[in-house]
Amino acid sequence: MPNADTQLMPRGVRRSTPRQFLLWILPWAALLAFGVYGAGLCLVKGLNQTHMDNRFAFGLWIFLDLTVIALGAGAFFTGFLLYILKKSELKAVINSAVVIGFICYSGAVAALLVDVGQPARFWFTFWHPNVHSMLTEVTFCISCYLTVLFIEYIPIVLKNRKLRQIPSFLVFEFELHKLMPVLAGVGTFLSFFHQGSLGGLYGVLRGRPFAFREGFAIWPSTFFLFILSAAAAGPAFILLTTWLVSKVSGKQLVRPEVLPMLGRISGVLLVPYILLKSIDTLVWIDSTSPARGFAAYQYYAWKPFGAWILFAEIVVFGLAPALILLRRRLRESPAWLLSAATLVCLGIALNRFVLTIQTLALPTLPFDPFMSYLPSWQETATFLAVVAYGVLLYSFSFRYLTLFPQEKDLSC
Amino acid sequence: MLSHIIFLGLFYTVLAVLSTTVALSLYRAGQDFRARRAEAICWHATFPDLPARDRLCRHEFTGEFSHRLCDKAFDCRECQQHAALVARRPPDAAPTPREADVFGLEFPLDRLYHRGHAWAHPEPDGTVTVGLDALGARLVAEPEAVVLPAIGSHIQTNGAAWHVNKRGAHVRILSPLDGQVVATGGPQDGWYLKVKPDGGRLDARHLLRGPEIRPWIAHEMERLQASLGPADQAPTMADGGVPVNDIAAAYPEADWDAVCAEIFLLP
Repeated sequence: MPNADTQLMPRGVRRSTPRQFLLWILPWAALLAFGVYGAGLCLVKGLNQTHMDNRFAFGLWIFLDLTVIALGAGAFFTGFLLYILKKSELKAVINSAVVIGFICYSGAVAALLVDVGQPARFWFTFWHPNVHSMLTEVTFCISCYLTVLFIEYIPIVLKNRKLRQIPSFLVFEFELHKLMPVLAGVGTFLSFFHQGSLGGLYGVLRGRPFAFREGFAIWPSTFFLFILSAAAAGPAFILLTTWLVSKVSGKQLVRPEVLPMLGRISGVLLVPYILLKSIDTLVWIDSTSPARGFAAYQYYAWKPFGAWILFAEIVVFGLAPALILLRRRLRESPAWLLSAATLVCLGIALNRFVLTIQTLALPTLPFDPFMSYLPSWQETATFLAVVAYGVLLYSFSFRYLTLFPQEKDLSC
Repeated sequence: MLSHIIFLGLFYTVLAVLSTTVALSLYRAGQDFRARRAEAICWHATFPDLPARDRLCRHEFTGEFSHRLCDKAFDCRECQQHAALVARRPPDAAPTPREADVFGLEFPLDRLYHRGHAWAHPEPDGTVTVGLDALGARLVAEPEAVVLPAIGSHIQTNGAAWHVNKRGAHVRILSPLDGQVVATGGPQDGWYLKVKPDGGRLDARHLLRGPEIRPWIAHEMERLQASLGPADQAPTMADGGVPVNDIAAAYPEADWDAVCAEIFLLP
């Protein structure tokens, strides 16, 4: 006789027992509670609970935001490829990509709410927007895109085994699904601008010559590099999470050709990104930075941010995985494929770390010291809360919703 | 000022597009219910979620394709491929035996069979009798509850015709035709519904018949045996013998909800 728990799960797939599931989610729930406590302290007592100050105004949270938003780009890019370019093989992972995107963006918005503070005034940014600020564009785009992801999440939830028994839910889901190309188009438009604006935010910092870049019209080069890097990292992150969930659950979730295909998409996008990033770096070394009064080597004199970090970013985490992912023989070897996808994701995190932390740490005036920053436990707890929230939401979604439509066929 | 207008105009346009999309979906869903399309839509939303082995084209059973998945949600009336194949090889006009015995299951050949195990039999008075085929009947045997549609209500092809509860499984039986229910029976009668078909006659292009029955039931028996086996073991096939009258009673350990879902096409 099926119990209430199994009646909520998709038919034809096997999930862990309720006891195993409880044991899995309890530590994450505890971590979430701890993080919510840390975040609560920041909201109630203010940002003095953090190790940020007026000079080091971007810390762990902004690094987290930039990284998860880049990794969550898989949702928009997969949707774009599936619904606009009709690459139907991606149906195998689109639901998972939407859930990951929703987790990444909602987690980023939650961290931003704590970072910005004054939650009762969150609506000020919409009512009194500073239209000359890239942050305003980012805020608008992320809020709108989170709404898109929420709407895209609805059909996945409504196809839950119990909910789908209500005909009106299924009919609404069907009609909403027909309009998915509209949502995919809006999502692509919004993602293009907010991924770009997050990069542009650093590129326009004239007072920070380490980050400042020339560009095209009003957009610095970092605007375009952020879009391209996020589009490349998104599929790699979906690949990695799909493999990870498959290992943790002990099930084959997608056909064998799906992960190499995601790897290929990532590799194809990584190549122009690395090429443009290299050109951008050379232009910056040769003219942009000297024009601001700094020779580029000066930035790398401050340890631990040596020139190795630039080499790692471009060669180890960029060129190397791109070459692996572009070679079919290597791509079809799980070890190479997963190593390359891991490198891509680490590379995107390193890039966002460099632009957030290294940019602020470097002195720009003769009397400036080299700054160091270590997050407080409250900042770390808030960071971990976002991770725990993501794991929990994904775990529940995986247990009760159909994230991988091929799983049913593969489990026969 | 202009930049304010452009910037805010752009984003409030995006919000307008999003709210219009949701509102349009809600409106269309309401229209679907008013136009009695909801049942058909539920089936179309359900069909792609069935495992691939449940969605085989009927022409695969007869060997016309080595492998082909149905993309019309078992509604051959919409399938040009089916029409072309029927035109190329019309149904045999030669007299056929009155009844097919498939693995010990009786399938009268004057009936037409739906993939969800309902049968339809046109009566001389213009109504169509609808029942559960021999395999379906052995699965639900003596159901704990049967929920039949009200007399006068309308049923739609591939929509829910009636519901059966059996050992914790809530099974909806798919309707083989569009029409108005004029009488109801039950398992003890050997039939469940009498239906006055829409348009005055039964459009049976999507229903299986004659030589299609045996290979179809052979496939169904394979699926049944695979679903009856323990989940953590490789499927094993029984050889010989005939299905007992109450399969549920013979397999007390089986997950009956999963077995019924497999055979009655529940997602």
